Amino acid sequence: MTEAVRFEDVSFQYLERSDFALRHVSLAVPEGAFALVCGATGAGKSTFLRAVNGLVPHFTGGIFSGRVLVEGRNTLEGAPRELSDVVAFVPQDPGASFVVDRVEDELAYAMENLAMAPATMRRRVEETLDLLDIERLRDRSVRTLSGGERQRVAIAAALTPGAKVLLLDEPTSQLDPQAAEDVLAALQRLVHDLGMTVLLAEHRLDRVAGFVDMAIGCLGQGRVIAGGPADILERVQAGPAVSRLGRLLGWSPVPLTVRQARRMAQQRGFKPGRVPQPRTPSQGPVLLEAKGVSAGYEGTVVVKNVDLSLRAGEVVALMGRNGAGKSTLLRCLGGLRRPDGGSVTAGGAEVEAGRDAALCPQTPEDILFKDTVGEEVRATLQAHGRNDGAPKILDALGIGHLATRHPRDLSAGERLLTAVAATVSTDAQVLLLDEPTRGLDGHTKERLSRFLRGYAAEGRTVLFASHDVELVAELATRVVMLAGGEVIADGAPREVMAGSPVFAPQTARVFGSDWLTPEELSGSLE
Amino acid sequence: MHPGAWILWSLGAALVTMSTTNPFYLLPVLGAAWAVHAAHRTDGPQARSFRIFLTFGALTVVTRTLLVFLLPSSVSAGAIVSALLEGLRLAVLLTVFGTFNSVADPFGVLRLAPRRFHEPALAAALALSIAPRTIASVARVREAQRMRGIHIGRLRALPALAVPVLETGMEEAVTLAESMDARGHGRGRRTRYRPESWDRPSVATAVAGVAGAAVFLVAMTRDIGLSVSTFPLSWPEAMPVLVLAACVLALPAFLTPSRS
Amino acid sequence: MKDSLLRRVLLLVVNLLGAAAFLWPFVIPSAVGGDGAHEADAPVIFAVLMLCLGALLFVELGRGGLGPKAVALIGVLGAAMVALRLPGFIAGFSAMFIIVLVAGNAFGAGFGFVLGAIGTFASGLFVGGFGPWLPFQMVAVGWMGMGAGLMPRSESWRLRIGVLAAYGFITGFAFGALMNLWFWPFATGSSALGWVPQMGPGENLQRYASFYLATSLGWDALRAVGNAAMVIVLARPLLGSLDRAARRMHLEVGV
Repeated sequence: MTEAVRFEDVSFQYLERSDFALRHVSLAVPEGAFALVCGATGAGKSTFLRAVNGLVPHFTGGIFSGRVLVEGRNTLEGAPRELSDVVAFVPQDPGASFVVDRVEDELAYAMENLAMAPATMRRRVEETLDLLDIERLRDRSVRTLSGGERQRVAIAAALTPGAKVLLLDEPTSQLDPQAAEDVLAALQRLVHDLGMTVLLAEHRLDRVAGFVDMAIGCLGQGRVIAGGPADILERVQAGPAVSRLGRLLGWSPVPLTVRQARRMAQQRGFKPGRVPQPRTPSQGPVLLEAKGVSAGYEGTVVVKNVDLSLRAGEVVALMGRNGAGKSTLLRCLGGLRRPDGGSVTAGGAEVEAGRDAALCPQTPEDILFKDTVGEEVRATLQAHGRNDGAPKILDALGIGHLATRHPRDLSAGERLLTAVAATVSTDAQVLLLDEPTRGLDGHTKERLSRFLRGYAAEGRTVLFASHDVELVAELATRVVMLAGGEVIADGAPREVMAGSPVFAPQTARVFGSDWLTPEELSGSLE
Repeated sequence: MHPGAWILWSLGAALVTMSTTNPFYLLPVLGAAWAVHAAHRTDGPQARSFRIFLTFGALTVVTRTLLVFLLPSSVSAGAIVSALLEGLRLAVLLTVFGTFNSVADPFGVLRLAPRRFHEPALAAALALSIAPRTIASVARVREAQRMRGIHIGRLRALPALAVPVLETGMEEAVTLAESMDARGHGRGRRTRYRPESWDRPSVATAVAGVAGAAVFLVAMTRDIGLSVSTFPLSWPEAMPVLVLAACVLALPAFLTPSRS
Repeated sequence: MKDSLLRRVLLLVVNLLGAAAFLWPFVIPSAVGGDGAHEADAPVIFAVLMLCLGALLFVELGRGGLGPKAVALIGVLGAAMVALRLPGFIAGFSAMFIIVLVAGNAFGAGFGFVLGAIGTFASGLFVGGFGPWLPFQMVAVGWMGMGAGLMPRSESWRLRIGVLAAYGFITGFAFGALMNLWFWPFATGSSALGWVPQMGPGENLQRYASFYLATSLGWDALRAVGNAAMVIVLARPLLGSLDRAARRMHLEVGV
């Protein structure tokens, strides 16, 4: 079998850094493989991907040794643009990568650069539109596309020159579950029907793990190894919830999908222990009260008549499909926007943004403007008339050691934690977060989870909107489900989530709605 | 409508305007510009500027005329009329520009750039398409900073607004540059996917502009009745051919472009 | 954008010609004068000349291509210029200038010119400011960016910001004076304040000075102060971001 990608003793260092991003990496990806690139943030996934099409080192600069062959072509022998007909690259934020306004013209851009004949271009545009199921989008402005549509258009735009190798940098991290499904389905089609080679860097492994043939693990300090998905996921300590479950229960091989887990449970005749006691709902004082809240934009009502009380000590998860009104509700609760109907009160008075409730921005980069993490936290403190307390907050989030670092130099996870620190410094009683775990690796999620639990335990409330079912299962004491702008469920996670076909965590899917997390299950056996 | 048609029409109308101060020729051009604007205006910030151009033009006429009165000794009927006519010429020129602004699609205009100018034109188009995102970013950042207690009101708080917006922009620039590089930007010769086509209304529009300019250019070389005598003050000539050529500029107002 | 002696010479020549195009009212001999209709020819000719110059400069600066990095940066920074143009531009002050000043200072004179010109062009298209003044405005803003790139990039922040603020202040006036120069013959014609080709440069300069005082001085003072204030408040953090972006993108900062 021929190789699509081959790394031969590749080492690479960025110019201002003394550590190696890639160190003596040798591996091969066979043609037609669907490969997962995984690893902790900062371990080199992005660097590895970019080494395949030559962006590393041509675009980034740096010290490079070794050889990378893509479909037989050496990446050192030409600039990335020379490889555009061989390898296609899709960045993490496709919205920022568009060059023109119309979808159809965007698809043609790469081919125009290759001076392809107009007739060929027209044919390939049609083919690619069908391939990614975006034909109905051809006349749309790229600005009007949804997240999943944007991602698929970006894939199409990179594929039109006829590349056989496709590189994707965290394509589903910003997408809701439905859009993520669509993108993964499209990738499946590319691999199965067209025999393309796909290299996919991802943190969200719940669904992907079952699709891939092989995995490439970035272990940190420049070490990168390739192998079977189960082995590599074990090595990088990551994977879907069922893998974690398998590891805890000592199963071998570790299951990668819900189906595999069910089979293994059957084969082994596995029986869970006693069902754990449900967590008692919080009896603390009400910190934030929403009564009959309605809100909308330009004629459409997005939030309808919502009643919600947030009590001290709770960690509440807000779930629902995209467009169900979560973000709008959060903004009303945070005092950023006055509801069109009803009221949001804290202690009897209308909620004040930044005083009674603080909403952490969905994009942490929106508030980072200082030169160091410490100064960032101090900026908030000073705005509230305080001068000390920064180290304590940073330590609580586990980023105390980053106090003198520039926020923009940090990884996505560290930036989020910095933003949370800056938000928490307002000392508001209610902390609101909108999709905080987008694009975060497992380690950072854990840190955030631990912090939020501790924060609520101090007598405050945390409310977070999320699609991350596993996070909710682990962290939330209460789940509120929103659909069409209305609250359709409000109660303990076990009641609200576990029975739902869409929102059930993987452990529940395997063992029934009594079980939310692998840790719960394995804990019951003792 | 092919954007090139608008360019040719505007150039033609501008040339006609600048070649004369004769109101019998200028006023039809003004009317033509207005009619074309009314018939083909697009929705968008550009279209609203027509009013500004008109105002600017009116202001020019007024200023010019008023300036005559600065030197009492030079005030005369001829001087006033001269100033009025020169002002009128400029006002009509501005109106032509106003029309171009409101009918031409900026992206269409940029797509016409010859190969040599592909990159600057692309950069300009990018600036136009990224601008709405930048404006949205400013709103988001302002709100997020307000949430943590930093109000962007005074000058001192501006970095809290400017830095996040710029940093986000820089990160997006890296993504964009990577994506362009990976898609073969700068490889050399390029082809065009779907060049704009010259449909009949476009050709007619272009011809109206070019023909009008040609007629007046000929008149210029022959020195036929383009200027108005103000010393002594006398009624200007109105040569039918020239009046007609000026009126023809209104042709696009009666054409409906095929929806492309 | 890389540098070479030929390019530098060409830059100089082109800019001298550009300056001539702006300063023609003082330099054109009386031969061009005459009756009203032909008086208008000279500005038209020079407008065309200006366009050609701009084109030439573009082509020369872009020789070897701008490249995806420069195009992307101009796109993003130009977008900021478009977004910032609206507030206050009528009054002369425009926040858009701060972009050109800091970006020119961070990325070099060549980049500064191209950004100034393209950003002005884009904002003209977008806001509907595509008027006969546009080529001149493009060159004027381009010069502002180019000069910012020529300001010394000293190690001391204080010095760097100080020099840039002073530069912003001066160019606030210079920009106004230049644009007003373009506007002057059109606005005043043959009145007492206007340009008279028969008179020598000295007399015309005097007339222009009076015109300038009466019209533009106020706006320009506003702009000069505005520029300096923006630089003092924003330049340090913005330059920090841009310098880091230049490093991250592995940009070669040339002329």
